[in-house]
Amino acid sequence: MVKQYAIAFGKKLVRVILLVIAVSIAAFALMTCSPVDPLQANVGQAALGSMSQEQIEKLQEYWGQGQPPVTRYLSWAKDFIRGDMGVSLLYRQSVSSVIAVKLVNSLFLMITAWLLSGLIGFFIGVIAGMNRGKLIDKCIKGYCLIISSTPTFWLALLLLMIFGVWLKVLPIGLSVPIGVEASGVTFLDRLQHAVLPAAALSILGVSNIALHTREKMIDICESDYVLFAKARGESSWQIFWHHGFRNVLLPAITLQFGAISEIFGGSVLVEQVFSYPGLGQAAVSAGLGSDMPLLMAITIISALFVFGGNLIANILYGIVDPRIRRGGVR
Amino acid sequence: MKKKIISLLCVCSLAASLLMGCGGTAGNSADKNLSEEGSQAANENTAKNSEKDSVVVTMPVSSEPEAGFDPAYGWGAGEHVHEPLIQSTLVTTTKDLKIENDLAGDYSVSEDGLTWTITIRDDVKFTDGEKLTAEDVAFTYNNCRDKSSVNDFSMLKEAVAKDDTTVEFQMTKPFSIWPYTMAIVGIVPEHAYSENYGQQPIGSGRYIMKQWDKGQQVIFEANPDYYGEAPKMKKVTVLFMEEDASLAAAQAGQADVSYTAALYSDLKLDGYSLEHYASVDNRGINLPAVSADKNEDGLAIGNDLTSDTQVRKAINIGIDREEMIQNVLSGYGTPAYSVCDKLPWYNSDSEVEYDQEEAIRLLEDAGWKAGDDGIREKDGVRAAFTLIYPSSDSVRQALAEDLVNQLKELGIEAKTEGVGWDTAYDRAQSEPLVWGWGAHTPMELYNMYHTDKETGLAEYSPYANEIVDKYMDQALASSNLEESYELWQKAQWDGTAGITQEGDIPWIWLCNIDHLYFVKDGLQVAEQKIHPHGHGWSIINNVDAWSWE
Repeated sequence: MVKQYAIAFGKKLVRVILLVIAVSIAAFALMTCSPVDPLQANVGQAALGSMSQEQIEKLQEYWGQGQPPVTRYLSWAKDFIRGDMGVSLLYRQSVSSVIAVKLVNSLFLMITAWLLSGLIGFFIGVIAGMNRGKLIDKCIKGYCLIISSTPTFWLALLLLMIFGVWLKVLPIGLSVPIGVEASGVTFLDRLQHAVLPAAALSILGVSNIALHTREKMIDICESDYVLFAKARGESSWQIFWHHGFRNVLLPAITLQFGAISEIFGGSVLVEQVFSYPGLGQAAVSAGLGSDMPLLMAITIISALFVFGGNLIANILYGIVDPRIRRGGVR
Repeated sequence: MKKKIISLLCVCSLAASLLMGCGGTAGNSADKNLSEEGSQAANENTAKNSEKDSVVVTMPVSSEPEAGFDPAYGWGAGEHVHEPLIQSTLVTTTKDLKIENDLAGDYSVSEDGLTWTITIRDDVKFTDGEKLTAEDVAFTYNNCRDKSSVNDFSMLKEAVAKDDTTVEFQMTKPFSIWPYTMAIVGIVPEHAYSENYGQQPIGSGRYIMKQWDKGQQVIFEANPDYYGEAPKMKKVTVLFMEEDASLAAAQAGQADVSYTAALYSDLKLDGYSLEHYASVDNRGINLPAVSADKNEDGLAIGNDLTSDTQVRKAINIGIDREEMIQNVLSGYGTPAYSVCDKLPWYNSDSEVEYDQEEAIRLLEDAGWKAGDDGIREKDGVRAAFTLIYPSSDSVRQALAEDLVNQLKELGIEAKTEGVGWDTAYDRAQSEPLVWGWGAHTPMELYNMYHTDKETGLAEYSPYANEIVDKYMDQALASSNLEESYELWQKAQWDGTAGITQEGDIPWIWLCNIDHLYFVKDGLQVAEQKIHPHGHGWSIINNVDAWSWE
């Protein structure tokens, strides 16, 4: 038994290593093809215009222009394997310390948004599915369809205008109060600053999971075993709890853990609107500024997140449905 | 059946109340907190303006010095030069961009222009209590020379501290405009300098950096031991945000000075007025001044239409800059006639009057005759070109479109195309591009019009004139800054040759973009220097002299 687990674990490990290699090569290749001129982006055209040619050459060297891409990739990879993610060209700090700060901010935001959208989405999906065709179902469905065609940044701006500008009940952005020293910033302050970005992310996140859950729930409600349960006089709640819950949970879990990538992507836009200093913002500035080491690290971390999400989904399958567990270890 | 419905309703309402409950409490507590803050703010509002000594200013996200507040990594320098605030500089620039002493008590330059000797004040301390000596100055400059990631120090051989208060700069070549470099390099303490200096900078400037919430804000406090006049504004908070967020910050009343763009200039914000500050943040187009050809790499150089001086002259007087400023910038701009309008090295002979008739006459006289479709032609060359602009810049796009309409009236056909910066530089060698410049140094003028040794042509747009080259070389080699201004001016127009309408006019300048800010009522923003290219730190160059009424 232990051996079987070890093999399964080993397989996963190989897979994740291959994934990281593939992702890093793809990201690097895309960056090399990118039309962004790092000098133009980071130093600026007007600044370059008042420099001597010597200085421009010095800068080109710093931003890695002129070196063949393969050499650059290999030297990056060599350091990365030894656990050194390199020094961010933009921030002049080690990539790990840049990411550490941003990740804490982002994780808080993303976990909140992910949990909220998952729970709310599952819940309204079940309600809609069990009340198919009724008013509440139509409302939920309508809401989900409208929301899923709403651009993230637009919704974020809308929330900002309503709660930040008109009602003035929530801050207009940042993760800390304006002009307050760190010692004076309370947890409540931070929470308050995360409300709008988290809300923007979760409001959008619910529609996908709600619609899928609803569909699955409708299938279940139409099945023979539910008909049989109804015939036995079980209440809706009993039917849901005994026959629906586990069945509908499976697709929901897959979706929700798969949605990690979407939350990740959404956070980039939301963080921009709310001037929230998270990983998303760092990814944007690394991308636009051609900061190769930083962008590579962020890409790999996000790939690991998505991989981790799917892995957790696999493990949870086993817990929810013992049949899969037995199959998986065989 | 009834039972089922009831039980379902129960589940629903229970769940709903749970959800609402969660949201409700969070909302409530936030509410309470903020309403408290709100009422506090309101109370303060009545009393505060008379004694308020703090200010909140927004800046674009790109203004944040990612690599820290270190002069070696570009703090103070770059596209948007500004005073470094935290550190003090040897000299500083005045309102009209002339040079004034700061840390330096006196400076002189040797006849050959290769040695600068600076005497510094001996009463200046860093905020950690240590004295600022010539050693620190020498260290700062040598460090910048070795590591500088933005500012150009290639002309500095070495900085040497002769004694406690004298420092000597030995140059590799004469560089008369060195004071403009000295005006933006903040002096760092040698004893407290490390790779991480930029994260926790120590200086001797007007402000101390209290806190930096990366990606969000920087908080400055007045330096109580500052050697100059004590700052009136005791606390300055700078927020880094996108344009929309900056506007929202003003609408919510949370920022005192909020940067904005011409697009939003029609908005009326309660309690704010729109202020505009003059800049040398210019926009212009290059007109390749040689005939079409290819260089050895196969790159197209030159343009058969714009290589005709008469065509360039016609375009320069045939475009209505005022109309363009009204249309594109809602009036917030000034006509531009050079890359350095109003700066000390600017030659006002560059100025021209809009005269469409004269422009058409010039074209006719030069043999450019209108064809059947109204577009001119000469010797089989059609008066047509592609006007390119950086696709990420909507203002430059709008300027390009406006220009196309105006050129059509002259019988010149242009079509616009947005391009990325990866190809823009190469394309500009043969096609006009909408550029944006505006630095606080004549080096810009030099790089734009001076020929490159290898190609024999100017770098950004093919053009060459020995006389212009000669004046600029002399200006750089001059040992007197005042005299060099005159030489820079002569490079533009010396009475017989130059780069103005009377001369070769290889670049056409369109407008200087005013920098727009929403400023809270009651705040007195001190008179601004001519702003350089881009929104950014220069707005708070003199924040120490701002006050509330």
